[in-house]
Amino acid sequence: MPQVLVPQTQSVSSFHALEIAEADGIQAYRDLSGLRIEISKEDDRWLVKYFVDSKGRYIAGGGPHYVIDAKTGEIVSKVYYQ
Amino acid sequence: MSDEAPSAEELQAHPAVQTAFAAAWADSFVDDKVLRHEEGGYIYFNPKTGEVAIRRARSGTRKALNLHVPPMILDSFLVATYHTHPNPVAEGWDPDPSEEDRIFAKESGVPWFVISEYGISYAGPVRRVGGLTGSCGYPQ
Repeated sequence: MPQVLVPQTQSVSSFHALEIAEADGIQAYRDLSGLRIEISKEDDRWLVKYFVDSKGRYIAGGGPHYVIDAKTGEIVSKVYYQ
Repeated sequence: MSDEAPSAEELQAHPAVQTAFAAAWADSFVDDKVLRHEEGGYIYFNPKTGEVAIRRARSGTRKALNLHVPPMILDSFLVATYHTHPNPVAEGWDPDPSEEDRIFAKESGVPWFVISEYGISYAGPVRRVGGLTGSCGYPQ
């Protein structure tokens, strides 16, 4: 059976980071609709931030913000804004 | 009659406002993990009578509440909004006004009160910007 080798230096993609954030966020928020996502990379960490997609309206609220290790996929820190 | 709107501190001390905050908190079902949601509304001041009035917004979700269309009250000005942050700090939730709350409070020109398990705080100006003139709703 062929063995799939994963390079030790392989990093977590932005897509995977988003999946990790979403999996956690849906547990806390139950529903992530109505939120827009900002994702960026700083050093070896993905910053995934959800904001209320207000479309120019005054809507109180907030979404989860994550720092995800770009090598391991571990959630380093998170805050649930409301 | 003063053209200056009551401050956030003055509003917070008003019995009608305190009652509204307590009612919103109670209606947010903070102890129910499934039904927990944001509640809130609008605070008005009538410069002719000095009366403070409250209008509730429609119930929100676990993470948001629409405060975009304050109803109009004759001879009264919108002087603040309020909403609850019902989700618990123990589960990782931030009780303070969110970045969105702060931005919209500043943009809207009135204080935005937030009611959480830590008490009452507010974002935005100390009082309605521009005084009790112009639009009866959001001043800007």
